[in-house]
Amino acid sequence: MSKVEVKGRNFLGFEIEVFSESLSDIKKEIDLRIGNGAYFFNNAIITLKLTPKNKNFAIEIYKFLKQKGVVVHAIEVDNTQGCNAQGIIPIIESKDTHIVSAEKNKEVAVFKGNLRNGQTIRSDGTLVVAGNVNPNSYVYATGDIYVLGKLYGVPHAGYGLNNDAVIFAFDLNAPQIRIGNLITRSPDEELNSKEDNVFEVAYADNGQIVISSYYEWLKLNK
Amino acid sequence: MSGKVLTITSGKGGVGKSTASANVALSLALVGKKVVAIDLDIGLRNLDMILGLENRIVYDIVNVVEKSAKLKQALIRDKRTDNLSLIAAAQTRDKSAINSSQMSQLAEELKAEFDYVILDSPAGIENGFRNAMIPADELIVVTTPEISAVRDADRVIGILEANEKKAVKLVINRINPELVRKGDMMSKDDVLQVLSIPLLGIVPEDKNIVNYTNIGEPSVLHTESESGKAFMNIAKRILGEDADLMEIKEKKAGFFQNIINFFKE
Repeated sequence: MSKVEVKGRNFLGFEIEVFSESLSDIKKEIDLRIGNGAYFFNNAIITLKLTPKNKNFAIEIYKFLKQKGVVVHAIEVDNTQGCNAQGIIPIIESKDTHIVSAEKNKEVAVFKGNLRNGQTIRSDGTLVVAGNVNPNSYVYATGDIYVLGKLYGVPHAGYGLNNDAVIFAFDLNAPQIRIGNLITRSPDEELNSKEDNVFEVAYADNGQIVISSYYEWLKLNK
Repeated sequence: MSGKVLTITSGKGGVGKSTASANVALSLALVGKKVVAIDLDIGLRNLDMILGLENRIVYDIVNVVEKSAKLKQALIRDKRTDNLSLIAAAQTRDKSAINSSQMSQLAEELKAEFDYVILDSPAGIENGFRNAMIPADELIVVTTPEISAVRDADRVIGILEANEKKAVKLVINRINPELVRKGDMMSKDDVLQVLSIPLLGIVPEDKNIVNYTNIGEPSVLHTESESGKAFMNIAKRILGEDADLMEIKEKKAGFFQNIINFFKE
């Protein structure tokens, strides 16, 4: 494990986690990690996560980061005791943040690359395919399936009778769509004639699989 | 000298693997590389015919791996250039006659003597294909612009990726620019969108190929032929010269030809 880690957090900006116990090590590592790339953090919410061993350097790290052009909005520690930044910037105690992270405890798997003819991929939870799903390939997930590319193979979302699962693709052109215990197939004619580039979502509604444009589906779910 | 093993494969049969192998092997030999072509389609050999060396076969690849012949004895020297040799497939056996470790060993031996070892893979994804794939340093997947060939190529590329073969390139064979323009044939870009691997070359449909095969003279020997030029371009791109991809132009019919065609219709 490295001494400093930068993590992206959905909707929560970035978290800079510091493990090392010596201030010079920390500064060196931050230099290495962030260097001149502070613009990367522009307008983001940044939290600094410290361990019980190094929380007494909180103010030094905060100032060092500020010098580099990275403004920390809050510090996260196990408890405020011994942290020398009290009263200067907000301090969050870890016990409060568990609520946020516990909620998104669902498994999300990401597959990068193209799924080719004859290949099968299975996932327990939600599956994201960053690439194309080519004809004659199969995608199974117990949760949702998101294809950031073309979906020309056969997807089965909600594998194991979860009819609430959805299937999203940039180009949804599957010969069959399976959600939970439902199945539908593409119309026999005009398989390839579609308006150009409409993101689509397939979901189950009243025991039938419905395909709608992504934006219409978003409106329905508001 | 340490050469490269270049495997030519496709999945589907009849898309022009052997024709491509013969032409690539011969054109690399013509530009001065030492090349050996190996026909791995044991039981259904025809690379020897396409190269016009049918009458010279005495020993074949099965004799070599079974050690009933020496490697030197099975190397058939091409009649046009000293740079090209052929190891023919056995016709009386089938694809289980050799296995992939024997094939790898043979490829290693040949790499020491030749710049390019070209393996002409059989159709399918079984034993014969695996024998051709495993020793490969570089691979060329040949496809034609039709949906069945492209699907099979996709399957093959999937298998290659699963076996961590990184240097895989595509040749699209038998493109007819007129049909592409009319929208009746997949274009090069349509094929690339599905397969998403680097394109090595495109070869136009050439009605003379049948004749070239019958007389045992690959099209690179006919420098005026469009397919010959295309294969020469592919050979240059294999060698890493920054030759641009040859574009295929539709032949413009002359004024009189147009009139004749008009009456034919």
